[in-house]
Amino acid sequence: MKFFQKYIILIIVLLQPLYLPAVWAHGENDFMRNTGKIGVVAGVILLIFLGLILYLWRLDLKLTKLENQIMDDHERTH
Amino acid sequence: MWWKIASILLLAGVFLAGLLVPLYPGLQVDNPEVLVPGKTEAIALRGYNTFFTQSSDSTRVWLTFKNKYALQATQVSATDNVTLLATFAVPAELPVTDHSMSLDVLVDDPLHGAMGLSSVARIQPKAPLQAANDSAWRVAEVRGLHKNTAFRYTILPNNYESIRNLFFHVPMWMVMMVMFLLSVWHSVQYLRKPLQLADARAQMYAEVGLLFGLLGLVTGMLWANYTWGAPWSNDIKQLMTVAALLIYVSYFILRSSFDEPEKGARIAAVYNIFAFATLIPLIYIVPRIFSSLHPGGEGNPVFNREDLNVNMRMVFYPAVLGWTLLALWVAQLRIRFKVLENRLMDR
Repeated sequence: MKFFQKYIILIIVLLQPLYLPAVWAHGENDFMRNTGKIGVVAGVILLIFLGLILYLWRLDLKLTKLENQIMDDHERTH
Repeated sequence: MWWKIASILLLAGVFLAGLLVPLYPGLQVDNPEVLVPGKTEAIALRGYNTFFTQSSDSTRVWLTFKNKYALQATQVSATDNVTLLATFAVPAELPVTDHSMSLDVLVDDPLHGAMGLSSVARIQPKAPLQAANDSAWRVAEVRGLHKNTAFRYTILPNNYESIRNLFFHVPMWMVMMVMFLLSVWHSVQYLRKPLQLADARAQMYAEVGLLFGLLGLVTGMLWANYTWGAPWSNDIKQLMTVAALLIYVSYFILRSSFDEPEKGARIAAVYNIFAFATLIPLIYIVPRIFSSLHPGGEGNPVFNREDLNVNMRMVFYPAVLGWTLLALWVAQLRIRFKVLENRLMDR
């Protein structure tokens, strides 16, 4: 489990090349341009999702730091 | 609390309606066909979201010229749901003599309603014509067109399904403006009465506004890549947006450059008012002066009436509200965090 936790991001990143090229590799008739450019909508929603997640991720990190600070203060006073 | 639930419900509805409602049927063309006067010519029309095999008996097709002249197809047949073959007896005499005619097409039947597409064919006379005769090109027969009243979205050439980005890319700008407006409001409040809370609000609304501005910019670049052909084409709105975002980036740089937080907060509040005052001409006035690739340059800077039919408005306005509430939620989390942090620092 520890191993899995440590390497899960690496595994996910390494898995991307398996399907990502298939998304774009169609030349002129790629996924974005055929099917009425619906892929552009998928991409836009993905970008918004990633942007919001990144922002919340940063907030998460700041919150962890604040929590640790509060815990330290608490230990010092008691 | 209720507005958080409202934001979830609104956005869930927007995602469902925004992605699942089909576009109106439309026509596509690869290369304009060249027609010879005096001959019987067939044109293959490609449909989008069409069901030609169900309607070909009642389908009427016209080639039209400058909305003044029309030539009805003598025979219409559907090879499949997306291919329509229309045969025209092109008259030997043309209504104009001076140049080759670029023809538009009009397809009408009760199932699809009237569908048009410009520049599908062109008439190139072999020899220069001596006299014009428009008797065979009368427009009188184009009447009784049907209207498709189903709940569908507008189909625009070159955009097709990507028109749905209206519910995702465009609200980012509205949200950015609301956030910057709230930010400047709290900056004014801070200058009137220097409370730490007002400063935290001004700062965090600006930060979330910047986030949504950036999202609007990158999503716009993705959309532009597949409609305008390049992610960046120095469009006036792209340039003005970058200028606006840089102004707000410098707000944060300015804040962080002061050793005394209170002095920094006061200067930043003044700067914020100037930043917002600069934003209005950048986003609302300058784009109207220069021509833009964005639609609706003549009137409203975001869209014009024809691009946005009433069905799209019914999803677009809830989308703006839903995204705005979501942004308020994110900003509220950020402000609550800042308040806690401030309290811890003060102890």
